[in-house]
Amino acid sequence: MADLRRSWRAAAGLGRRRALSAPAKAGALVRLLLDRFPELAADLWTDEDTVEVQIDGARNVELLTVLRDEPALNFFYLADAAAVDYGPTERFEVVYHLYSDRHPAWLRVRARVSRADPHIPTITGLWEGAMFHEREMYDMMGIFFDGNRDLRRIYMSPDYRSFPQRRDFLLPDDAADSPAAGVRPLERPETWDLSRLSEEVAPGVIAHAESES
Amino acid sequence: MTSDVKIPDPLDLEREEEARLRTVAGLPPARGPVGDYAGFESVGLPDRPPQTERERQVYTLEEGEMLVNMGPQHPSTHGVMRLVLKVRGEVVIDIDPVLGYLHRGIEKLCENATYTTVMTYVDPMDYLSSMHNEHAPAIAFEKLYGVQAPKRAEYIRALVVELNRVFSHGLMMGFLSLDMGGLTPILYGFINRDEVVDMLSAISGQRMLFNFFRVGGVNFDANDEFFSRLGTWRSGVLKTIDMNERILTDNEIFRGRTIGMGVLSGKDAISLGVSGPNLRASGVAFDVRKAHPYSIYPELEFEVITQSGGDVYSRYIQRIAELKQSIHLIDQIVDRMPHGPVQAQVPGIIRPKPGRAYAAVESPRGLYSVYAISDGGPNPYRFRMRDPSFISLQAIPKLMPGHLIADTMAVMASFDPVMGGVDK
Repeated sequence: MADLRRSWRAAAGLGRRRALSAPAKAGALVRLLLDRFPELAADLWTDEDTVEVQIDGARNVELLTVLRDEPALNFFYLADAAAVDYGPTERFEVVYHLYSDRHPAWLRVRARVSRADPHIPTITGLWEGAMFHEREMYDMMGIFFDGNRDLRRIYMSPDYRSFPQRRDFLLPDDAADSPAAGVRPLERPETWDLSRLSEEVAPGVIAHAESES
Repeated sequence: MTSDVKIPDPLDLEREEEARLRTVAGLPPARGPVGDYAGFESVGLPDRPPQTERERQVYTLEEGEMLVNMGPQHPSTHGVMRLVLKVRGEVVIDIDPVLGYLHRGIEKLCENATYTTVMTYVDPMDYLSSMHNEHAPAIAFEKLYGVQAPKRAEYIRALVVELNRVFSHGLMMGFLSLDMGGLTPILYGFINRDEVVDMLSAISGQRMLFNFFRVGGVNFDANDEFFSRLGTWRSGVLKTIDMNERILTDNEIFRGRTIGMGVLSGKDAISLGVSGPNLRASGVAFDVRKAHPYSIYPELEFEVITQSGGDVYSRYIQRIAELKQSIHLIDQIVDRMPHGPVQAQVPGIIRPKPGRAYAAVESPRGLYSVYAISDGGPNPYRFRMRDPSFISLQAIPKLMPGHLIADTMAVMASFDPVMGGVDK
């Protein structure tokens, strides 16, 4: 099985134009980034068509402003902003994908956000269109964007309390294992079965439910 | 004649009765208008204090203003969406789009599905461009897994996505005129669309939710019925488009209601994240097929078309130009289509190595992208979709102030949003 898979990979390399051309072109971008932000050298990573950089959440506005406004970089278009949850014991990430007409690679900026205190500055000052992205991330993941003037739920109803795309939010199929978040009627904490919760699985939920009921 | 008898307000009686019932049932008191909204009796105000600065701004009314709900069930909201219009007479002052009526949590469902079954979940997202919805995950998963689709599969992919673009743009012409009161173009649009979906049904077995793309190829090879239908359609399609164009493009009423309406500048469009034909109609030449070429687009000959107006009419003209361009691309693809297999050898359940992949495609509504993370398991650890109509919707509150209520529909339709994609 494993051998077969490797042989497909080898065959796959033949037809790939991007794999041959992109890294050389992305090299210019990597050099520019290193000139501008030498401290990020350890956090740079490149793919066949992507250059990736990891930063602390608090630095996002500073870095994205430079990326957008510096003429040699010119990442003027915010292609995507997404939140990723790396699990209850790990961290959140807010991932920005940027497009520039100067460079043939996507630029991916991964901003780390603490899971215990999920706050990150908003980038709606740089791109107005980040508003719906941030509202969605807040709604689905519970990340707070400081400075965003319209941080409301966008898909779920305003009185909804859970954050459904977190890894510890389980689907109703797995309700037996769920920390009761999101699968109870009307999302009322007084209806939650606290005996099934533990502080490890759902930190803060018990205290929250007790304060509400 | 004056009277000392105070006639009770029926609404007060209702509230008292509710309070009494709540006491009997042991429920907490009902929530009413509080805080900033206290004193307002207008229907449509949220039954809670404003959560944000922007919400307070929209829902706080001054003398002579009122709130009107357009939707959730409204023919011109292109699905189930509610627009809260703040109006003064016939003039729109502010808009608050309320989304989520169609939210199905597709990203979460995909994170609980195997890589192959993800294709069935993304289909009903933007149901007018299902092929594009499948194209981006297919590319992303192939990057993760390190496999390349055979050449013929790539050509078939490009062929079906361009066909999908043709019927989507054709329908947009119809929907735009329908929202302004013209019924005929939508019928022509559906003639064109039915021919195309019959064709796609011949190749994929489904009319709307195709489930056609696979990791490393496509489900079926193009068959005789497909090519036969393609030939018939191709011989008549330009005529159908021309009929639509003759009704609309030089129509005085249509021009009067679209030219100069809802003007979006290129700078604003970039800032708002508007993409696809809507962005190009504002003069920005950003097309993912050229900017980050995927599939076989580097081998095809086409130019990025732009308009300069940025108004409803430009967005309409842009769609027609792209529709004709797509037909030109379909001709090239059919001419050059090679023979060979259509599916690389990939098992049904794949476990890509841990990694990340980003894939963007140009859907009829703009930049549709997928960010997939693998943790080595049989399903994606994170599956993120960026839907273009969701982001483009932000332009509507920006554009509408100062327009009439009736023009809201024209501007909405010109952005061609699909609520299945907006709400995911």
